[in-house]
Amino acid sequence: MNNLTRLVAGEFQRLAKYKILQSGLGVTVLWVLVLFLIGRDEGGLFIPLFLFMDLTMMTVLLIGAGLFYERQENTLKTLLITPTKLSHIIFSKLISAVYIALQSAVFLGLLGYLFFDSTVKFYYLLPFTLLIALTHAMIGYTFSVLVKDFTGLLAAIMSYMILFAFPSIFYALDILGDTWEYLLLISPTHGSMLLVDLSFGKSVAPALIILSVLYLVALSFILAKFIVFPKYIEKAIKE
Amino acid sequence: MAKKIIEVKNLRFTYQKDAVKAVDGIDFTVHEGEIFGLLGPSGAGKSTTQKILIRLLKGYEGSISYFGKDLSTYDNTFYEDIGVGFELPVHFSKLTGAENMAFFSKLYKKQVDVGPLLKRVGLYEDKDRLVGEYSKGMKMRLNFVRALLNDPKVLFLDEVTNGLDPKNARIIKDMIREFKEAGGTVILSTHLMNDVEELCDNIAFISSGKIREIATPRALKLKHGRRIVDVEYQHNGQTTTETFELDDIGNNADFLNLIKTREIETIHSGETSLDDIFIKVTGEQIHE
Repeated sequence: MNNLTRLVAGEFQRLAKYKILQSGLGVTVLWVLVLFLIGRDEGGLFIPLFLFMDLTMMTVLLIGAGLFYERQENTLKTLLITPTKLSHIIFSKLISAVYIALQSAVFLGLLGYLFFDSTVKFYYLLPFTLLIALTHAMIGYTFSVLVKDFTGLLAAIMSYMILFAFPSIFYALDILGDTWEYLLLISPTHGSMLLVDLSFGKSVAPALIILSVLYLVALSFILAKFIVFPKYIEKAIKE
Repeated sequence: MAKKIIEVKNLRFTYQKDAVKAVDGIDFTVHEGEIFGLLGPSGAGKSTTQKILIRLLKGYEGSISYFGKDLSTYDNTFYEDIGVGFELPVHFSKLTGAENMAFFSKLYKKQVDVGPLLKRVGLYEDKDRLVGEYSKGMKMRLNFVRALLNDPKVLFLDEVTNGLDPKNARIIKDMIREFKEAGGTVILSTHLMNDVEELCDNIAFISSGKIREIATPRALKLKHGRRIVDVEYQHNGQTTTETFELDDIGNNADFLNLIKTREIETIHSGETSLDDIFIKVTGEQIHE
């Protein structure tokens, strides 16, 4: 067992102790209740939307709030004085966030397949969930290393939702027309939504799929290389 | 001659957003088996120096050698052999004391039995309570145990007795002394004169990022202390005090006459406290 494995095990222990795993499960149960209330005919249409929100907003919130809380407890700092690589510390949180996202994806995917007659392409759903969660975990990291306090973090998350997540949701609900699509492509949430849609059998142009994947990969890399890794230590040791 | 563990030469450091140097050209050497104290008020540069020495702050000027090798050339295995006691509690509040120790302990190759350490600092009975329920003093004691988890060779301690009652502060100080007696080296940052006076072999007075003086506590007292003797005695039913120069006191007729003829209540040599010496050397108050 290397230190990355030990850090990941520690992450899961804390996710359970801090009741984050249970809260995630609670949100999923809430989605299920809403889906059954909507009814079998319409409910299936909402599954990709609920999953999209889980993979994007919940992941940003999970990483951002978790890091903020740990910084308050000074535990980020004490991890830095262990024989552990910085990359392992950062990856351990990414892995736990991606695991929670995959759990949601599998659960909602099976729910759609078994109870709502949804078309679920698991061979797309699983890798795309991984990519979307990874990118949004990196966005959560970015917010938490750039903002000063918890209010700043909430403001950043709200701004992200209003600027990026809501337009994609409006587009999915046909509130925004097709002419907005190319403008929406600058948003990481829209690329995420296209990939979720594809996983649930919706037809998406191959060019848009390739563009979305490249965009999310490039964004994750850029945020990691130029913001998260360089700023992490500075933020962790600030008292 | 004891082996050099840390050798700092002309160390300078400026925080990105500050114009003033937090550490401004300091030099010192710490030898094996020594307790070296960095003493100064808040903002003097002692915590910054500690953070540089434990490799949390990079981008410094000057040179630091650790066990004879440039500190910047070490990788993360550097942390296998050091223990760090931070000024503030550094634990997961929703985990118990034992769970916290188990988690951190697993990250090191060398691990000690935590039970005896927890017993020694009086936390064994509370090891299964959530750290969030601990008092500040309990958290600080757990911090100290955390610093010893990997059986370190060198301890970096920052305000280690902060928030502790005298009984628990005594236990921690005894443990630090035992660590030194077992061959360990300690770098202690503090603003508490008592800690320094009781523990340190050498002290560096630090203020405004500069080291103003380095010496043993005894040498500092001899150099800067007042060499006098105060005698309190009864005279006409009242306590009276007279002060004599310590030098050649055996031939001071007035002093000898006084102790022969009066009812002496107390005799004190006029030792200057380290507090007073610090103010004299740096021109700054140490208390926070």
